[in-house]
Amino acid sequence: MSNIISIIQGLLVIVPALISVAFVTISERKVMASMQRRVGPNAVGYYGLLQAFADALKLLLKEYVAPTQANIILFFLGPVITLIFALLGYLVIPYAPGTFISDHRLGIFFMLAVSAIATYGILLAGWSANSKYAFLGSLRSTAQLISYELILSSVLLLVILLTGSLNVITIVESQKAVSLLLPLLPLFIVFFIGSIAETNRAPFDLAEAESELVSGFMTEHSASIFVFFFLAEYASIILICILNSILFFGGYLSIIVFSIISLLDLSREDTLFHVLISIISSSPINLAVKTSILVFVFIWVRASFPRIRFDQLMSVCWLVLLPITIAYVILLPCVVSGLLINPVNISLL
Amino acid sequence: MTTTTFFLFLMPILAIILLAVNLILSPHNPYQEKDSAFECGFHSFLGQNRTQFSISFFIFALLFLLFDLEIVLVYPYVVSAYTNGIYGLVIMLVFFLVLTLGFAFEIGKNALKIESRQVYNFNYKSWSGYSLIYN
Repeated sequence: MSNIISIIQGLLVIVPALISVAFVTISERKVMASMQRRVGPNAVGYYGLLQAFADALKLLLKEYVAPTQANIILFFLGPVITLIFALLGYLVIPYAPGTFISDHRLGIFFMLAVSAIATYGILLAGWSANSKYAFLGSLRSTAQLISYELILSSVLLLVILLTGSLNVITIVESQKAVSLLLPLLPLFIVFFIGSIAETNRAPFDLAEAESELVSGFMTEHSASIFVFFFLAEYASIILICILNSILFFGGYLSIIVFSIISLLDLSREDTLFHVLISIISSSPINLAVKTSILVFVFIWVRASFPRIRFDQLMSVCWLVLLPITIAYVILLPCVVSGLLINPVNISLL
Repeated sequence: MTTTTFFLFLMPILAIILLAVNLILSPHNPYQEKDSAFECGFHSFLGQNRTQFSISFFIFALLFLLFDLEIVLVYPYVVSAYTNGIYGLVIMLVFFLVLTLGFAFEIGKNALKIESRQVYNFNYKSWSGYSLIYN
């Protein structure tokens, strides 16, 4: 019985994740079409809503090409690794109070580790294809991913300093009074730039710069292994938007509703209205709205900014963003200790 | 079997199913030109790759290793900042001071710069005040 329940739980997380990937691709095409005064996909289903499913079906029925000069096993293993580790991050996400698969104490470490291993998939796929475009694309992509991962992990360090825990749920619950966006606004901007670069998105999509490197590390990949890269990219976009909203916007908590409760002093009353408002204050809809806004910003950024050069990308990471975050890593513990306001892990209270 | 274990197994199963669907349902009639390496308009030829690449990529990977290790070593302090107090902070600051000196040395050696043939690169153009260090 418990086996069946755990299978249902796993499917309940992963099937909506894959469907949301499909709808994110649709929304990307629709939003970018509106920003460029086009119509966008409108033929398949109502308003083109089924376009992504049709695309996926088409790609699954396409012929796979296994280049003769490639290392076939690694060639197929690379995309599989990328997909697996892009989707494994959903394991530790809390969607609502008590709604998660794993409440691990080191949830944040798990997400960092999983996103680091996903880099290996890209490296393997690009190297094993034995084509110069794929090789150069995977070199660029790997350098970019590891450099920006440094920024993400050092910003996470400060979030953990202010919450005192590596558990994702504790990080969310610590933001009941005020979301971490307020004390860490500059770091949120750094983290957001880092997450755009980490997901290989538009101003930083040097790995697949069409004019130079055909299609980057996935030049030789076709059919379902290309679908794996596609799914992994969009799944990691959604995942990193969820991570952004968990770290800086309070995840499933609604700060506005909490301030209404405290302003009107509703916490003591026991009416239906109070029950309703406490349901609204921590429901998964809050997380969904925040994540959707962030995904929209990702698409907006893609439609707005031109692509930068590779040496510029690396300079921005190592000479601008990294010194800023390192300075914050030194400043913030000093401020917190100097004013004797060391935060405590609220789950230990 | 807990849900976590099942989830860890579900991902490879999903990938294998998608791969199997593709391998079973799709047509497959390869010939020599189709299976050769991609090249723009010409015959592709082997031996262009698996050779040298820019040393900058290796240096970035090396520096990433150092910095990631540094950040991982600071994580235990950060989780226990409340119990450690000022003593732990001072130790952390000394640790960071050494690493910051090393970082400044790397910047001074131009280790973090990829050579570009374009004259106006990012630092030169918009951070001319820092040009003593960066260029």
